[in-house]
Amino acid sequence: MQEGSIAVNEMVTVSCGALIVIGTILTIKESDPFRKLISLGIMIGGVMPFIVDRGLLDVAIAVALIAPLSTLFTLMICGRGEP
Amino acid sequence: MNPEFILGAFLLLAGTVAAAFPRPRTYLNRLINLEISSWGLLLLMLSYNEALALLTFGGVSALTVYIFVRVLQKKEAAG
Amino acid sequence: MTPQEAAVMVCAAIAVYAAIRVALEPDTLRKLPFLNVLSFAITGVIALVLPHPLGIVAAAAYFVGSTLESNAIASTYAGGLDRRE
Repeated sequence: MQEGSIAVNEMVTVSCGALIVIGTILTIKESDPFRKLISLGIMIGGVMPFIVDRGLLDVAIAVALIAPLSTLFTLMICGRGEP
Repeated sequence: MNPEFILGAFLLLAGTVAAAFPRPRTYLNRLINLEISSWGLLLLMLSYNEALALLTFGGVSALTVYIFVRVLQKKEAAG
Repeated sequence: MTPQEAAVMVCAAIAVYAAIRVALEPDTLRKLPFLNVLSFAITGVIALVLPHPLGIVAAAAYFVGSTLESNAIASTYAGGLDRRE
């Protein structure tokens, strides 16, 4: 870790890990596609601070702008079957 | 053994098992469960500080989902 | 504890609370405001965890993307654009 950056304290790491675990278990257990996508949003929110914590901010910007596109592409097929 | 490695391995294993045996056996559930595994691989790449691999994989991942969605739309239209 | 660390801790606690509320909510449309709360809290964590001038841009990018995703899910669930008679 480079100098001039505060080390992320343990509580943020534990909370983002808890967010990832909650989102993963919820995504696997749900059966409705919309509920699965909402749970996937929780998981993506948990992954994002780990990328920023490493100092890879350009990667964080690119991933944060590309990740909703994946959800939008999935929603294109999601709206057809559901009345 | 940093927390990124442990969480990435957990996500990769859970996403692979969930994509292999989805609960309602539809293609859409399989596609959504595949994204869990994709984010696990991204977290595992982050654990080794591979910035260029992260950028390339993040860009190609959305393209892969788009191609799968087009394939499923064609399959739905064909019946 | 510096005030910055205290702010990061408050944001992380709000994020975990919003995730638990989303997990325990039975109605699908009521999940979406709590998803927005979670995205605001994660934006705060991203902006505060690394004092770097590019961190603000990353936080803004995540904010825009997450709000777009949540609104797209809500719009598709509530009927979608292709509901023309």
